[in-house]
Amino acid sequence: MTGAFAQMDQGIVLRGASLVIRGTPILSDLTLALTEPRIGIVGQNGSGKTTLLRLMAGLVAPSSGSVMVDGIDPARDRKGMLSRLGILFQNPDQQILFPTVAEELAFGLRQQGHRDAETRARAALAAEGRADWADLPVSTLSQGQRQWLCLQAILLMAPRTILLDEPFAALDLPTAARLTRRLATLPQRLITISHNPAAVATCDRILWLDSGRIRADGPPGAVLPAFTAEMARLGEADADPHLPR
Amino acid sequence: MLTLTSPVETPLHRWPAGLKLALLCAATVLLFRLTTPLPLAAIATALAALHLLLGRSIAATALRQLRPLWPFLALLALWHGLTGDLAQGATIALRLITAMALANLVTMTTRLSDMLAALDRLTAPLARAGLPTRRLTLALALALRFIPVLSDRIDTIRAAWTARSPRRPGWRILIPAALAALDEADHVAESLRARGGAG
Ligand SMILES: Nc1ncnc2c1ncn2[C@@H]1O[C@H](COP(=O)(O)OP(=O)(O)OP(=O)(O)O)[C@@H](O)[C@H]1O
Ligand SMILES: [Mg+2]
Repeated sequence: MTGAFAQMDQGIVLRGASLVIRGTPILSDLTLALTEPRIGIVGQNGSGKTTLLRLMAGLVAPSSGSVMVDGIDPARDRKGMLSRLGILFQNPDQQILFPTVAEELAFGLRQQGHRDAETRARAALAAEGRADWADLPVSTLSQGQRQWLCLQAILLMAPRTILLDEPFAALDLPTAARLTRRLATLPQRLITISHNPAAVATCDRILWLDSGRIRADGPPGAVLPAFTAEMARLGEADADPHLPR
Repeated sequence: MLTLTSPVETPLHRWPAGLKLALLCAATVLLFRLTTPLPLAAIATALAALHLLLGRSIAATALRQLRPLWPFLALLALWHGLTGDLAQGATIALRLITAMALANLVTMTTRLSDMLAALDRLTAPLARAGLPTRRLTLALALALRFIPVLSDRIDTIRAAWTARSPRRPGWRILIPAALAALDEADHVAESLRARGGAG
């Protein structure tokens, strides 16, 4: 399967991509060629991780520079992106569009032109041992269960690259462990945002984002120790020295 | 987040969506043909009985869904009380209540995807004429889903207010609620875009 992927797979290429929102630079001059099968993105709150993911997914267009996914502009060719790229939102409630589990799962498949979308969605639930979820209203799911649903909806569409924005944030330990194993076996390219260095330690490449710029880029062995040390240093430092103690 | 389709299964859930929509249309036309309160009252009573047959929880939900009508009914009562034309007032009120209850019953007992499939079939001739009907049905689906989502958001805003204030929020939550609606619209647009857009 990986071989077939490799043929037309040029990965995600950013050339001098910047994003300015109402005069504030959010991402500055990013030049990256992302081709590794497992890539992790780390950085502090507000460093621009989610924004970078949205840029790569074509949900926002760069203010200057360019973003290409397999040679295609993701902000323009939305239909073309369906088989190339899927994104898991940080907040599942912002991703779910339909009132029941089966309908939410079937939507992406239908968008891809599958006539048997609903049948496939139900089969996928059954394969996960959750056949009884099909007609549940999404409102009755817990936060972690909703995140699981969102991820299943993406996996079902089988895009070649999957962008994951903190996929473990709302999951309990057993579900997170199961998901880690499941993700490890996927043939797709995965780009994962995480606050937890351990969660991205097995990646091929780590991007450390700091105030919308790349602070470090390399194998986890090189980037993560420096990142962890810096986060510890910031945690120790008194963030608000002017406040009385 | 609420959903409009009732999770309690009733025999009506198994009727084809197209049939239910056709019956709803026919019934609504009939309602607007009737101009005296008595036959309308009979229909309303029959409809209430039907709800009770389907189950207490469905009947309770249906009653709750009629709540947005009360201000209009109050206005009707006031107006027709003043003009003295009570028969006319009763006719309009009964017509409103039955039409709304019928429409709600169809939404409660039809899964959204079935409703959309039926609408897709209905609008197929328009699609052949080149109109963007898929967008139309999707818009309808999203409206159906997000009306309850928004009312839920308003409840959360009210709860967040009450948790930090001794006073009832009242009209003050209007602005945060309006902003929440805009926010929600942004998220829906983005999620739709992430999965191929509405086209
Ligand atoms: N639509 C927007 N308008 C204005 N500013 C924005 C917008 N979206 C993001 N920002 C700003 O861009 C910066 C980066 O936000 P982003 O959500 O990408 O951060 P993040 O690294 O994902 O943070 P977190 O770890 O908290 O999820 C933040 O300072 C944020 O305030
Ligand atoms: Mg984020």
